[in-house]
Amino acid sequence: MSDVLLEVKNLKQYFNEGKPSEVRAIDDISFSINRGETFGLVGESGCGKSTTGRTIIRLYDATDGEVLFNGINVQDKKSKAGNKDFNRKMQMIFQDPYASLNPRMKVMDIIAEGIDNNGLAKSKKERKEKVISLLETVGLNREHAERYPHEFSGGQRQRIGIARALAVDPEFIIADEPISALDVSIQAQVVNLLKDLQEERGLTYLFIAHDLSMVKYISDRIGVMYFGKLVEMAPADELYRNPMHAYTKSLLSAIPLPDPIYERSRVRTPYNPKDHNYGSDEHVEFREIAPEHFVLCSDKEFEEMKKNHVPKES
Amino acid sequence: MSKILQVKDLELSFHTFAGEVKAIRGVNFDLNKGETLAIVGESGSGKSVTTKSIMRLLPESSSEFKNGEILFDGKDLTKLPEREMQKIRGKDISMIFQDPMTSLNPTMTIGKQIMEPILKHQKVSKAKARKVAIELLNMVGIPNAENRYKMYPHQFSGGQRQRIVIATALACNPQILIADEPTTALDVTIQAQILELMKDIQKKIDTSIIFITHDLGVVANVADRVAVMYGGMIVEIGTVDEIFYNPQHPYTWGLLSSMPSMDVNEEKLYAIPGTPPDLLNPPKGDAFALRSEYALKIDMEQPPPFFRVSDTHYAATWLLHPQAPQVEPPSGIIERMRTFPGSRYYEATGGRA
Repeated sequence: MSDVLLEVKNLKQYFNEGKPSEVRAIDDISFSINRGETFGLVGESGCGKSTTGRTIIRLYDATDGEVLFNGINVQDKKSKAGNKDFNRKMQMIFQDPYASLNPRMKVMDIIAEGIDNNGLAKSKKERKEKVISLLETVGLNREHAERYPHEFSGGQRQRIGIARALAVDPEFIIADEPISALDVSIQAQVVNLLKDLQEERGLTYLFIAHDLSMVKYISDRIGVMYFGKLVEMAPADELYRNPMHAYTKSLLSAIPLPDPIYERSRVRTPYNPKDHNYGSDEHVEFREIAPEHFVLCSDKEFEEMKKNHVPKES
Repeated sequence: MSKILQVKDLELSFHTFAGEVKAIRGVNFDLNKGETLAIVGESGSGKSVTTKSIMRLLPESSSEFKNGEILFDGKDLTKLPEREMQKIRGKDISMIFQDPMTSLNPTMTIGKQIMEPILKHQKVSKAKARKVAIELLNMVGIPNAENRYKMYPHQFSGGQRQRIVIATALACNPQILIADEPTTALDVTIQAQILELMKDIQKKIDTSIIFITHDLGVVANVADRVAVMYGGMIVEIGTVDEIFYNPQHPYTWGLLSSMPSMDVNEEKLYAIPGTPPDLLNPPKGDAFALRSEYALKIDMEQPPPFFRVSDTHYAATWLLHPQAPQVEPPSGIIERMRTFPGSRYYEATGGRA
C-alpha cells in the first residue's frame, strides 16, 4: 500500500446537536487518500459530500472522529505557526467562480494573498514574478494580473481560483464541484489542467462532484455518499463495472449518456432505502467485498454480493 | 408535420455601454407540432436569448430586433404590441426556467401560483381554477395535492419545486413549452425523474417543446431534433441521430469529444481550445474558425452558408463545400459515424455514402 496522506476516521458532523432539528450531515465515515491520488466523492445534494470536504479543511469543527493529515490531527489545537503551516498544505477550490473571488481585488492581489500571509516572497519583485508564473501555469498570461474578476469568463475565473490555491505550494487540494458551474467545452479544459498539475507537482486531490462521468474520468478511487454515510468505495473502474450497493446502481442508471440509441432503451432503477429491509438484529457495516472494494451492507447482503461480483478479467 | 413556430433570419442586438452586442446573428428554424427541439451551445452562444426573444422577455430599452421574424399562429411575434403578447405569454407559449428556487414567488402558496395563469387567461370561476390546479399537481406527481396545495415554495424540495413550475407552465395547455435548462440545477436522479415527467406530459397533451441545455446526455434523452448554436448562430441542425452519429460541424465534433466516455479510459480529455467569440466585434468569417484545427483559409474571410447533408440535416461549415479538402474527424467521432447508415464511415458500405 502506498503512503497515506489523509486519513478520515469515524468522522461525524452533526448540526444543531441535541436539538429536535439535529441534522446528521456526516454520520460515521472513514476513508483514506494516498499521496498523489485523486479521490472522488459523489452523491446527491444534501448527502454530506461538501460538508465532508469542509470538515476536513476545518471550516467546521467535527462533532466526533478524527482527520489525520500527514499523521497529525487536523482538529487539534495548534500553535499559530502550526496552523499556518497546515493551512498552507491544504487548499480548496470552490464551486462558484463568481462568488469565490473578491470583486474588489485585482487578480494579482487575490493570488498573492496566500504568498503574503505565509511570507513566501521576499521582495515585491519576487511576489510579482511568482504571481505571473502561476498565471502562466494555469493558462492565463501576465496582462491578466492587473485586472479585476468581473473582466473574466467563468472558466478563466476558475483558473484564477486554481492559481490561488497553488500559490502556497499545497500538497492536498479539495476541489468542491470545481466544474459544475462551467460549460462542457470549458469543463474539459479545467479537468485537463487539474490532471496536468497533479502530474507536475505530485498533488493529491479530493474531488467532490455529482457529475459521475467526469468523476470517473479524473479519479483513481471513488466514494459514494448517501444521507451522511459512505455506502460504497472502490477504484473508479471497479465501481463502474461492478456497482454493488443499490444506491450506486440507481445513481449510475440515472446518468444520461450522449448516445440517443442507448438513451431510448435505458431503464432507470430507482432507489428506495426501505428495500434493504434490514432486521433489527442485523449488523450493517462497511465490508470489503473484493480487494479495495467496500460496500455498506448486512451479513446476508454481503454473502450475496460476493457471489454476484464479477472479478476483473485479465 | 405541421409547423407551429417559424423563426426566420432572426437578428437581435443589445445596446450596452461598450457598444452593440450582436447576440443573435441570423437564426432560422422551424418547430413542428408535438416534437422536442433541443438547442445546445455554451453560455453566450445565444440559445437563451433566442427563446427569450420568442417570449419577448428581453428588456425593450436595451434590446432591439434588427431583422427577421418569429411566426406563430399567423402573427409575427417581433412586431406584436405588448398587450397582445400578454395574451400569448403563459397561455399559448409558456416557459420553465433553470432555477426552481427563484422562479416561484416565496410569499404565495403554490396553489395560488398555479391558479394565476388560469384565472388570467380563461374565464373560469376560482373554484374551477382550484380544481384544475389540484389536477395539475397530481399530474406532475406531487403526492397529497389537496393539502399541499396550500403550502409555500420553501416547504418543497428542489425537484418538487421544478414539478410545481412545470404545473404552472402547463396550466393553460400551451402549444409550445420552452424549457431553459430545466434540470441543470438538479441532481442526476432528480433530473432523470423530471425528464421522464416532461416526456409523459408531452405525450398526454401533445405540446411542442424547445429544450435548452448544454448537457449532451440530456439532449440524447429528450430530443427529436437538435440545433447546435455557436456565436449567435445555428451551426448545425438535424435529427437527434444525425447530430450524434453523423455530425458535420467541427464545433459539434468538439462538443461530443469533450464528454468523457464511461467505458473507455482516455489518457487525456479532448478540450476545445480558447474561448467563445466576443460578440461586440464578431469575427468576419466562421465564428468557430479561431478555435478549430479544421479551419480553412476561407473560414477567416467569409461565413459559411448552410450545406445540405440530408433533408433534415444542415450544417454551416465550409468543409462540406464540394471543393473543400477531405478532413478526418476526431477518432471518437469516426467511431460514432461507423454506426450511422449514410455517413461516409458507415461500416457496411465501406466508407462510401
